[in-house]
Amino acid sequence: MSKCIFRIAVALLICLPLQARAQLEGEAYYNDLYCQTCHGADGVGNEGVQAPRLAGMEPWYLKRQLEIFRDGIRGTHPADFQGSEMQPMATLLTDEGIAEVVAWVGSWPYVPAELTIEGDAAAGAALYRSCATCHGNSAEGSEALGAPALAGQNDWYLVTQLTNFKAGYRGAHAQDSQGSQMMAFARMLADEKAITDVVSYINTLAR
Amino acid sequence: MSEPVSRREFMNLLGATFGTGALIRLGSALSLMPAAAAVSAPVFAAPAPGKGRVAILGAGISGLTVAWELTKAGYECTVLEASNRAGGRILTVRSGDTVDEIGNRQVCEWDNEPHMYFNAGAARIPSTHRNLLHYCKELGVELEVFINESKTAYVQDDAILGGKPIRNGDLSTNVRGFLAELFAKSFTQAQLNEPFSEAESEIIMRLIRTFGDLDEDRLYKGSSRAGYASGGFLDHGVLKEMIAFKDVMKTRYLGTMLTANEGETGPLLMQPVGGMDMIIKGFTRALGDKVIYQAQVAGMQIKDDGVDVAFDHNSKRETLSVDYCFNCIPAHLMTGIPHNFPTDYLHAMKYIRRGEAYKAAFQAKERFWEKDEIYGGISWVNAPIGQIWYPSHGIHKAKGVILAAYNFGGGMHFTKMQQAERVEALLAQGEKLHPDYRQLVEKPITIAWHRINHMLGCSARWQRSPGGWTHEEEALFDTLQQPVNGRHYFIGDQVSYHGAWQESAILSAHWALNDLNQRLRAESGA
Repeated sequence: MSKCIFRIAVALLICLPLQARAQLEGEAYYNDLYCQTCHGADGVGNEGVQAPRLAGMEPWYLKRQLEIFRDGIRGTHPADFQGSEMQPMATLLTDEGIAEVVAWVGSWPYVPAELTIEGDAAAGAALYRSCATCHGNSAEGSEALGAPALAGQNDWYLVTQLTNFKAGYRGAHAQDSQGSQMMAFARMLADEKAITDVVSYINTLAR
Repeated sequence: MSEPVSRREFMNLLGATFGTGALIRLGSALSLMPAAAAVSAPVFAAPAPGKGRVAILGAGISGLTVAWELTKAGYECTVLEASNRAGGRILTVRSGDTVDEIGNRQVCEWDNEPHMYFNAGAARIPSTHRNLLHYCKELGVELEVFINESKTAYVQDDAILGGKPIRNGDLSTNVRGFLAELFAKSFTQAQLNEPFSEAESEIIMRLIRTFGDLDEDRLYKGSSRAGYASGGFLDHGVLKEMIAFKDVMKTRYLGTMLTANEGETGPLLMQPVGGMDMIIKGFTRALGDKVIYQAQVAGMQIKDDGVDVAFDHNSKRETLSVDYCFNCIPAHLMTGIPHNFPTDYLHAMKYIRRGEAYKAAFQAKERFWEKDEIYGGISWVNAPIGQIWYPSHGIHKAKGVILAAYNFGGGMHFTKMQQAERVEALLAQGEKLHPDYRQLVEKPITIAWHRINHMLGCSARWQRSPGGWTHEEEALFDTLQQPVNGRHYFIGDQVSYHGAWQESAILSAHWALNDLNQRLRAESGA
């Protein structure tokens, strides 16, 4: 892990302006455990700052999200508040840095998130049928379809993302092909209750 | 004819204007000024054998207070600090320092001189904050006066006078003059309604005239208090042209000019010589190696007889088993650390929202404000930067550090911008006050507390409605203030009714220490 952190530190330094780097090099080790500041210890997720669970997230999905955050495809809509907090962080990452982060996150044990949402799971089950096409019957996700696992993720995060997709705060960027598909599906959810219900159903799915 | 003003109503009117309390309630963005508390740290007995291990999570001033008091009492304290510095939101930025904003790391390149610093968090010490002052004295922290108000500083508002900056003294003098004229007229009616004695009337009318500098006809026609347009020393002073009240009444800063220097931000304010973090250095000097830096808490389990704390340090996960734990990790970060808090405790933690305060500073190539008769104090700008602070220290030196923005309410405006956009906004808004600002300042530092690593927020925001604390919020506060199992205490200004002040953080630590002390005394039958 230390090697990985070191490489992230190096990757970050490369991104800094030359003058700033010259000053930083002479300094003591600087703490670069940024992921855990927001996403919680070992990436368990943190409702306090609305940062989702990373532990257990599929490497291909994490990589893709870091890339699209970095490239301004995600997290740049002014109404995507949480995304706008992640986006500047990702801009510091090189491809190598992203690979290191993905490897680091992969070292954290999977712990299913605490359940905080209570809706009508039975109604949600019916709504989930269209979700299952891509995300799977057990919300296990599908790399081939570019659909991440949903089971075990923080339910408040799922609500935020569904709300953002539905409103076009996420997924509306021209280069966000997966996001635009998701926008279309999220718009099939009629209202806030439908979102709560479908997330309540996802909460019942074991991973 | 309108209803005459009764004596009581009139006195209320006087009170509302002359007295400070009511105006502070209505007008001050800094909330109520609490009563000064006596120095309140308890005197502890030495710990029972094998019962004196204490973990302090976070080296903010509340954590350092606990560590210092318990160390003096013979406890074995360990302070775990996630970042590479102590102090939390007591942060002084100087040459070579790194501002660890996530996604926007900055390195300060100002001249390396003792007066070239910027207090990016706590910046003022009121004379009533006696616990903080007590520690300054105990820890040998040298203090100097902080100038909060300069009558020659400016108020600028696009809504008045075509956006032309106006001196604080011009505005406040003319506002007082206008109000005094009103009082004089109201007083005549009040007298009719419920007569004062002649002597009382004279006293009151004299006070009204003095308040507003009214002439013998009880009219305001300008005052030398706003300064002269010319002369005044070797020839007679020429009064400035009076500013008509109706021309300035549209600015929201009318009240601000009367209240910003009253109560908690009234005279006398102080600051440590060389930067606010001198207080933190005083604590860490006294605590020596008890503070472990880059030690990020990764888990906490409260048991019947103690607390187990897991933390990452030097890329290793370590565990610290202690008898007591004092925790000043911001509640919104603690929720991301595995724990076994009771449900109601967690619920209270989740209720608190992150503060959004924003500050920024430039190195000024020259102390241009001094050429403009400004020495210290604050200019107010009706723009997102809110305020510009001129340094109280380093007077007449070649350069200075000027505070370029202090937005304590809605700092997200700046936080959401990229650095280059922030700097352009700071310059464009500062130019409203000082036309050559852009040429005179350089090397910006921005502090978006919402994004500072290991903080992710300024002072805790408990209140969700403008009407003050609700009973539900008070109940949540009470829950979070109480210890868990008598073993874990939440501390920091987040566990006070008066966030954003060092005194609040210290008092929260003292509250916890007093509670523990009482429990220990009860256990030992003392």
